[in-house]
Amino acid sequence: MKYLNKSVLEIHELLKEKKIKPIDLVEEAFENIENNKELNAYITLNKEEAIKQAKELEDKEVDNILFGMPIAIKDNIITKDLLTTCASHMLENFIPLYDATVVEKIKSKNMIIIGKTNMDEFAMGSTSRTSYFGAPLNPWNKTKISGGSSGGSAVTISARDLPFALGSDTGGSIRQPASYCGIVGMKPTYGRVSRFGLVAFASSMDQIGPMTKNVYENALLLNAIVGKDERDLTSAEKETEDFTRLIGKDVKDMKIAVPNYFMSDIVNEEVKSAIKNTIEVLKNAGAIVDYVDMKYLDQAVTLYQVIALGEASSNLARFDGIRYGFSKENPESIKDVYFKTRQEGFGTEVKRRIMVGAHILSGENAKIYYDKAMAVRAAMRQEFKRIYKDYDLIIGPTATTTAYNQTDSLDDPLKSFLDDVLVNPANMSGLPGLNVPVGFDNDHMPIGMHIIGNDFEEAKIYQLASFIEKELNLDLTPGGEK
Amino acid sequence: MDDRLSKEEVLHVAELARIAISESELEKYQIQLKQIMDSVDKIKEVEVDDDQMLIANWSAPTKLREDVEGKMLSPKEVINNAPRHSGNYIEVPVVIGEEA
Repeated sequence: MKYLNKSVLEIHELLKEKKIKPIDLVEEAFENIENNKELNAYITLNKEEAIKQAKELEDKEVDNILFGMPIAIKDNIITKDLLTTCASHMLENFIPLYDATVVEKIKSKNMIIIGKTNMDEFAMGSTSRTSYFGAPLNPWNKTKISGGSSGGSAVTISARDLPFALGSDTGGSIRQPASYCGIVGMKPTYGRVSRFGLVAFASSMDQIGPMTKNVYENALLLNAIVGKDERDLTSAEKETEDFTRLIGKDVKDMKIAVPNYFMSDIVNEEVKSAIKNTIEVLKNAGAIVDYVDMKYLDQAVTLYQVIALGEASSNLARFDGIRYGFSKENPESIKDVYFKTRQEGFGTEVKRRIMVGAHILSGENAKIYYDKAMAVRAAMRQEFKRIYKDYDLIIGPTATTTAYNQTDSLDDPLKSFLDDVLVNPANMSGLPGLNVPVGFDNDHMPIGMHIIGNDFEEAKIYQLASFIEKELNLDLTPGGEK
Repeated sequence: MDDRLSKEEVLHVAELARIAISESELEKYQIQLKQIMDSVDKIKEVEVDDDQMLIANWSAPTKLREDVEGKMLSPKEVINNAPRHSGNYIEVPVVIGEEA
């Protein structure tokens, strides 16, 4: 019997009525993952522990909607006693000593961790091909990329292995693979979710978020992971709220802005046409949709490179071959430990980014590049704030194209940055953004819409996204409903 | 404009980044790092009205937590995570007199 393709609400009812047990869900999840093995969505499976936990839950009361639900965790979020590799040779054998805050939170809901998902090495990339363990494949067409960096999480949700996954998003790493794989992915407002235990890439932009097959379930998972955390100074002091509360409401009189840049000639025609169709649906429902000019959006890639690479070079200095992780054998000197460990432990993309980051932050360059980037970043955020004086939400495509071939542009060091041009302004400005599927291209690869909200307005994003989801009513199971 | 960095320039940033590079890598990085740095360079041309800086999207005042003893990891657990260790010590090559 299959249960995991049902809605979470239905599964929850079955658990409550004792018609099924958590172990049924866990066994089904592992069976699905085994059947989809060639998608390479996972780096590590947590089989023994998950089965043990599921059995322990049999005597417990089903006290919340996420109780007993299987979940996959991106492999840069640390899990106590469970291998956490960041898809890097550097951490190939790294077993964390404690849980990330989000992991503590999902465990407190009695969710069951099924495994750790594949990703770009240290979340650096837009295709998941920089993984030390090989790239995950797109369930809609295995010759296509999954997107990245949270590629494995997007793939396992898209393939309907299980209902919930966590990803992380520094420049689009939740939303862009969500777009390529036809699922819902949310990057919450900076500070909404604790980053404690997320292996740092660019600390001023990193954020953990939920990846699911639909909007409602996405909001449910966000409900479970938010909140102030004393161990993350940048986590926000916010009242708890129910992110599902506006789902189902109509969008009449909602004011929506479409920046012209998001629909310019950098975007593929088929993608644009799907976005335009959706805009028509919104207008017909009484929403007010205006095209607007916004400055600085065209500087997103350059800006992202300075900030993300600068911060990355500093954050990844911790991988020194001394305290944990990989270390090159038989070093002749302390310098040898550092230099050779990092030469062999990191992959090419990571090394490129660290070196450019080190260059940007060295001596006079810090002023020329980094200080300037901080000023452009402030100006970009002001631009968003100006739009939100008149509009509820900003929309556009999530990605300029649909998922491309696994073999395309492998050696182009700029391609991975350009892939995220439409999504990284939200990271720079700290704003929440979500991908919702809105159609398919001629090869039946998914197209996604990006919805960006004002600070801490995730609930409003879910309102619009759920409306679109309901109106379009797309079949989002690769290969059709089973 | 050159389409590549000089070998010395690549070796300099590699030194800053504490990464050893082989001869074959060196050649690849001469081109690839140059491509990224040219892209990064465009930040200089962006015009902004004022030079107010935004370091992070977070503006809450710093709040100190209560100074109470919390849960701690045992030294044994932490030391065991180190690639080379002995007893309660992490092993490293001789540091004094060495440049790093």
